Amino acid sequence: MDVVVSQVSKTWETGTSGVLALDQVSHRFGSRRFTCILGPSGCGKSTLIQIIGGLEKASAGEIHVSDPARAETSRALGTDSVMVWQNLNLFPWRSVIDNVAFGLEMRGVPRPDRYRRARALIASVGLRGFEDHRPGQLSGGMRQRVALARALILDRPILLMDEPFAALDAQTKIVMQEELMRIFEQTHKTILFVTHAIEEAILLGDEVVVMTARPGRIKDTIAINLPRPRSLELVASKEFGALFDRVFHLIRDEVMKAMQEQDSGTAGPS
Amino acid sequence: MKVTTAVARIGERALPAVTIFAFVLAWEFWVRARGIAPIYLPAPSAIAVELYRMTMDGSLLYHLGLTLIRIFAGFALAGISGILLGMLMGMSHTLARIADVWIAALYPLPKISLIPLLIIWLGTGEAYKIVISAVTAFFPVVISTYAGIRQVDRGLLKTAVDLGANQRQLQTKVVIPAAIPSILAGLQLGMGVTIILVVAAEMIGGSAQGGIGYLLISSGQVMQTEKVFASLVVLAVVGAMIIKLQQWADHKIAPWMFQSWR
Repeated sequence: MDVVVSQVSKTWETGTSGVLALDQVSHRFGSRRFTCILGPSGCGKSTLIQIIGGLEKASAGEIHVSDPARAETSRALGTDSVMVWQNLNLFPWRSVIDNVAFGLEMRGVPRPDRYRRARALIASVGLRGFEDHRPGQLSGGMRQRVALARALILDRPILLMDEPFAALDAQTKIVMQEELMRIFEQTHKTILFVTHAIEEAILLGDEVVVMTARPGRIKDTIAINLPRPRSLELVASKEFGALFDRVFHLIRDEVMKAMQEQDSGTAGPS
Repeated sequence: MKVTTAVARIGERALPAVTIFAFVLAWEFWVRARGIAPIYLPAPSAIAVELYRMTMDGSLLYHLGLTLIRIFAGFALAGISGILLGMLMGMSHTLARIADVWIAALYPLPKISLIPLLIIWLGTGEAYKIVISAVTAFFPVVISTYAGIRQVDRGLLKTAVDLGANQRQLQTKVVIPAAIPSILAGLQLGMGVTIILVVAAEMIGGSAQGGIGYLLISSGQVMQTEKVFASLVVLAVVGAMIIKLQQWADHKIAPWMFQSWR
């Protein structure tokens, strides 16, 4: 699925005045590609993918989601995508299997059927045997897998990921990144992955979109032509180092700007 | 080393019981040593004898049974109506705005001050005792239920919408389960005030209709101080048991509340 964003702006209303979070963002997120959206905190990158997912409304601009193989029929936002959240948003009262099966349950899939599919997916993310545990009984990495399985069960062509690994410890993060690379290489979903970690963006993405500090604009787009399948050893390579330097210089000014803005006390919803 | 730590652990567990035992012992000793008249302060042994006598002649069970029935009737009435109104308020802004004014006006009113009116309207029978306790317990239940429903994590709602939940599913599959911890907290508060109000109503009700509150006031009026103390002991023990039972039920209903997230 192609996601074409044109001239999208978002203003958060705060009483009398508004905070401009996104300022005329335009980009074409290619079908079956892994795009990382990189930017300092508060640059509106989360807002952007929530708008693409149909969970927030844009103040201006248009978004077209369409299948490149078919005619130019734009699809309703949210119908082809599913979100993986930074803070996971697992339902604490539901067991692992009932969290994973939630989307199917909402669609009215009968219990034996949805449990069968949920069990298979739980096993594929390495959580066999934890079906009846509740999220509160799991470690951070395991909860992350539950959130991933819950999104994957709907088998939607677009996966929206909002800093999904930000809260994980370094080792768990590596494992989850490899897991995600494996999923992408097998399914070739269109993935939009928000992050503020440069290494993560280069390691995972086919393309890195660098955003500016508030108001969020697209500063530059960098193609990552590293071969797949990728692994973590790539980080030590010369090509990776060169890409890192390029992205780092793009983002450094923006981080400084964001910090200054925070110091002067203008905060808003992230 | 191991033995000493084990002993220390047992000691720590037993410490609360030891303090109670020591207190009772000191009380017994003090009453006997000073020769204090039983109408002022009976010895624990005398209270125990009275408790035994009341248990044997069936009067304890009779009065306690009446009090418990009133407590559970009042609590059930308040629980059901409070949860229902709280949920409806959570679903309808109009209703919430209307009910909010009434709650703001009536909640701070000491419910005991309604006793004269209720006795005029309902007499001193069962209806009055159940209604006064239910009215009191209703407020914490309705307020907690409404707060729980209103404070549902927006992230969970967005997630459910993203996963395809419709409006009805949003209510039944997310909002209500997410509000359960808050509802249970309201029920805990409600149970506490129900016990207080039932006993108070039994004390003020006057006529011979039984109950622990009646037992307290009637024994006090004829200076049967042992009986007063015996009633207090029963009230304390039964109250503690009800609260423990409720905590146990909370664990059964909402086990996720008691699991840490880290």
